[in-house]
Amino acid sequence: MSMPGLASDHEWSQRHLSHYVEGDLRPRARRRLDRHARGCVDCGRGIRAMRALVYAVQGLDGLAGIRAPATIFDRVRLAGPGGAASSQNA
Amino acid sequence: MAGPDGQVPDAAETEASLLARAQAGDVAAFERLSGAYADRLFMLLYRLLGDRAEAEDIAQEVMLRAWRGITRFRGQSSYFTWLYRIAMNEANRALEKRARRPAGVSIGAQELELPTAPEEEPSRQAENSELRRALNQALAGLPPPLRTAIVLRDVEGLSTQEAAEIAGVSQAAFKSRLHQARLRVRAAVGDEALVSSGG
Repeated sequence: MSMPGLASDHEWSQRHLSHYVEGDLRPRARRRLDRHARGCVDCGRGIRAMRALVYAVQGLDGLAGIRAPATIFDRVRLAGPGGAASSQNA
Repeated sequence: MAGPDGQVPDAAETEASLLARAQAGDVAAFERLSGAYADRLFMLLYRLLGDRAEAEDIAQEVMLRAWRGITRFRGQSSYFTWLYRIAMNEANRALEKRARRPAGVSIGAQELELPTAPEEEPSRQAENSELRRALNQALAGLPPPLRTAIVLRDVEGLSTQEAAEIAGVSQAAFKSRLHQARLRVRAAVGDEALVSSGG
């Protein structure tokens, strides 16, 4: 026999893992997810996975290896000083 | 940060003074002002569009539009936010144009092979290369509004307020997109790969 509320708690928790790690849940909702995750292997792992995801995505910036092309201001230079001034009256 | 000509602006050359000069029609001041954000802006476009040549084209267009609109910038947001907002509009325009093409060009994850940071140890690079590939592929597969949310918030590290302003939506709508994006990426990459990455 299934326990009333268990499936809905699980589905709700799975949908709110990002809210949880982001700190977007109100205290009562956070307690609900905490309580459920203590007894649910999937949701406990889901919290760890979501934290790892945010951490890993933050490491994707790769800024050190990518530079803007040297041509980035070419169209500005072609437009010249009048390019900005002319738009004032546009 | 170095300007587009590689020179570090001196202390007296603040963003405000560069902005005033740019608004008076000084192209060099505009380049120094906007050049400080050029790498980040290009990176954002590259990640959103997934195609280097297109990102280069759009980056030029963003700078031109910023230059043309510089006199209308009133400082209600930071210059960076204003510039990024233009970039976001241009990226969305390019994506819409792409979607209207009969044989739409999708972002191929193989096109988005971004380099790892050089300071990362080789062993860690190897360890994470598989996860990076999977994450890049998952990000590339997201619908543009969701991709934008996760790129601005998690990859770029912007605050929710700033990211929502750039995306042109309310903070609540932005958060909703961000959470949806993370759930989809999690589903695509899989818990095992994420948890074993030890993040």
